[in-house]
Amino acid sequence: MNKYTLHISGTHCASCKILIEDDLSELNFVKSSSVNLKDKTLKVEIASNELPEELVRIINNKIQSRGYTVSTEMTLEKNQGGDVIWKALPIGLGFLIMFFWLQKSGILNFGIGGQITPVTSFIIGLIASVSSCLALVGGLVLSLSAKMSQDNISDTKPFLLFHSGRLISFAILGGVLGLIGSAFNVSFTLTSILGIIASLVMLLLGLNLVGAMTKSKFTLPSGLFDFFRKIEHKSFTPLLLGFATFFLPCGFTQSMQISALSSGSFLSGFLLMFAFALGTLPMLLLLSFGSTSFARGKHALVFFKAAGIVVIGLGLFSLLAGLAGLGIIPPLFNI
Amino acid sequence: MNRTASIIITVALVIVISIMLFVQPKSSPGLAKIDTAQNVEIRESVQYVTINAKGGYSPKVSTAKANIPTKLIVKTNGTYDCSSSLVIRSIGYQKVLPQTGEEIIDLGSPQTGTLQGLCSMGMYNFVVNFN
Repeated sequence: MNKYTLHISGTHCASCKILIEDDLSELNFVKSSSVNLKDKTLKVEIASNELPEELVRIINNKIQSRGYTVSTEMTLEKNQGGDVIWKALPIGLGFLIMFFWLQKSGILNFGIGGQITPVTSFIIGLIASVSSCLALVGGLVLSLSAKMSQDNISDTKPFLLFHSGRLISFAILGGVLGLIGSAFNVSFTLTSILGIIASLVMLLLGLNLVGAMTKSKFTLPSGLFDFFRKIEHKSFTPLLLGFATFFLPCGFTQSMQISALSSGSFLSGFLLMFAFALGTLPMLLLLSFGSTSFARGKHALVFFKAAGIVVIGLGLFSLLAGLAGLGIIPPLFNI
Repeated sequence: MNRTASIIITVALVIVISIMLFVQPKSSPGLAKIDTAQNVEIRESVQYVTINAKGGYSPKVSTAKANIPTKLIVKTNGTYDCSSSLVIRSIGYQKVLPQTGEEIIDLGSPQTGTLQGLCSMGMYNFVVNFN
């Protein structure tokens, strides 16, 4: 029986401990293992006589695909982290510039005249998914999926639930709008407040992704942390989030809601909003599944930080715009 | 990547973003004047201020006379973006405009000051100055 203490790097989340210990328990010569996240050490007890170097090689084979590395010596991870953020900053800012340039270019402003059919509303959905609405809905999707991948919840179920929840609720609410006609009006103030809440969530998740929270030893209040944990694990929460995106402030969504209102029947409203949501789907799928696949690649660390920067930028933009929309601050942007 | 190079690129990108977001695009000043002159007219002692809403509002700044009956006309033409959901806080107005059409908003006889219109998400805006 031999005991070793190894140094481990890449442990960015609380669940990493469990994942690593699970992985190691699959190795039949490992009697027990325990990860100490604070000291970044791994204590292993093995039943065979491997040399430490050999042990390190075997363990790395097992866990390196998840982004963890063990070594017999302490690595200077602090320094690495500093380099990663400087790689991530230009990437994140580059994406933000592309996004704002797209908004300014006027490419998205071509008109679709005439009667709204499910086909035209699908096209409007495609446009909406790269418009300024992306700042809110897309930013939210990106921050949640990146955060979930960072916490190593490799399950795709929450994403599927979110997207199907979104499709179903758009269709059903569209149908209801068509049924009740003009009696219904979503309050602008309500949508603005929802938008501000969503942008605050994005800012928090963005800061968390960049790692500003752990570095400055500022952590989320435990209640809020538990809340996020629940979001990540319960299956009705992604469904509910998908539903809530119907009410997020987005000009395209609002004008489609009006079209559904004036469409005159449940079925036509249902089809219009369903086609619209379907149009927004490709971009949102790309965001959520793109981020999970990046998160498993070897550039995961850069990806998380770059995504965090994009999310912070979009969150700030939506927050300031939302506050201006409520008349709390003067409008700042000239997009 | 070299750290110094990254820092320089980062600073440059931040400057580009700030310019994109905060600097008013300089469409030639002469053009803006014609715009302003054309979008305010007085017919039968009622002043009409016309604003086009599509991918933002134009003209962004208009100048009109104060203390005469005034109507604001917001024109949409296949507008689906945020500019179709118009909010004018000072008169408590908020409505999702029809995708194509003209919305006439009665402003009464506005006093000297500015009237600000916004889209519901807050990233498009226009101002009418009453003198």
